[in-house]
Amino acid sequence: MPLDHRRLRGPEESQPPALWAATAAEDEEDKEGAGAAPRDPCALRPLFARAGLLSQAQGSAYVELGSGTKVLCAAWGPREAAEPGAGRLLCEFRRAPAASLALADAGVEMYDLAVGCALCRPPAPAASWMLQPAEPEERRAAARLTLALLPALNQVSAVLGGGRGGPPEDWAQALRLGLDGCHRQYPVLRQSLLRAAQRRDAAA
Amino acid sequence: MASVVLSEAEKLYIVHGVQEDLRVDGRGCEDYRCAEVETDVVSNTSGSARVKLVETDILVGIKAEMGTPKLEKPDEGYLEFFVDCSSNSPELEGRGGEELGTDIANTLYRVFSCENSVDLKSLCINPKEHCWVLYVDVLLLECGGNIFDAISIAVKAALFNTRIPKVRVLEDEEGTKEIELSDDPYDCIRLNVDEVPCIVTLSKIGYRHVVDATLQEEACSLASLLISVTSKGAITSMKKVGKGSLDPESIFEMMETGQRVGKSLHIALQKILDEEENLGTSRPKVGFLG
Repeated sequence: MPLDHRRLRGPEESQPPALWAATAAEDEEDKEGAGAAPRDPCALRPLFARAGLLSQAQGSAYVELGSGTKVLCAAWGPREAAEPGAGRLLCEFRRAPAASLALADAGVEMYDLAVGCALCRPPAPAASWMLQPAEPEERRAAARLTLALLPALNQVSAVLGGGRGGPPEDWAQALRLGLDGCHRQYPVLRQSLLRAAQRRDAAA
Repeated sequence: MASVVLSEAEKLYIVHGVQEDLRVDGRGCEDYRCAEVETDVVSNTSGSARVKLVETDILVGIKAEMGTPKLEKPDEGYLEFFVDCSSNSPELEGRGGEELGTDIANTLYRVFSCENSVDLKSLCINPKEHCWVLYVDVLLLECGGNIFDAISIAVKAALFNTRIPKVRVLEDEEGTKEIELSDDPYDCIRLNVDEVPCIVTLSKIGYRHVVDATLQEEACSLASLLISVTSKGAITSMKKVGKGSLDPESIFEMMETGQRVGKSLHIALQKILDEEENLGTSRPKVGFLG
């Protein structure tokens, strides 16, 4: 939605309040993080996915990841594109694969569901990549990678990564871990689509 | 991005040629075009460079100004990137070029987000109060394919050429700080560009991938991978662009190629920069009229 800059007058410069928070609290959190048992790098957080819950949108999906990430996505259209040629897909993909689930729920013809997965690598020197980091882990990460896979076709549709990764072998290992994670999440999403279709059938 | 319209026959010709490791201009899949790099072309900047890859022409100017450090990193300076594409073609004038410009600027931010690319601590004057901010302005003069690679080469050359004046901080008895610029105009600090990465764009054409694609080759390629490589061969960022998809095996191969090509690119670039440095003031300046 376009912002009305004439009426909404926010401050010229804004700073996040977290910076001014007492540093004592930060130290405690760090010690706790370091002392906790090292988590299994291949563990996927429990995923809950449900398609077809908004009645106003053509398609919708809700995805919830274990420790607190909740994403709701709705798909509208198809509308006539402003420019000729290929149509445009205005969509933002993150860790949760909600967007492609919403599109599939709307009945848009797609080659496959795009499943997204994020990884990060903590700053310790020989640390290994971890799947689906929690927010504090991601803030401290030395390198991050997000990728989207079309599991049935085994084609990677997007890769975005940055940071102090190291030689290509490390990045290749991270990619393999991410691809594996995407493959493991795929059945959950297919199940949710199937259930949504059955519910719609029953209601009709 | 500026693009050419190709017939199906032309596309097929290019694709088949690439499968045999033979491109339209006779290069192999991993060869760059002939590049011209020249530094110190703009006189009123702290550092500048111009890179010409046959038809792609990029001009980068860096201005060092004093500013306040960011709150999260009080003892470091920082870089700001601005990209201007409006001089390229009529369709990129005004708002059209803005999208491409922000895309390039965001890529540059991500490439340089790695902590040790540029020694930001050397840009600090007074922690929390004063630091050097490097404003990097990129001007896209002509787009002939492979602009990301050319821009990253130009940025690295301009950073090598940047001269930041030395300042001294004098403190009074009352505690007020004064910043004094040294009188000698040649007394300046130079940046260490050993860890600055260069972007290598690998475009997938058919079953193989090519480095430094021309506009025609970009029109045949559905997906490309942008990798930023340092001179030691470490990859600092990667991004897939294009509306096609990539096979995971292709991505692994592209990363290997990108690392190999990136390392040789850095060696060649460093050789040119060192040669220019050694010639010093007696270097013949070509500029824009050569």
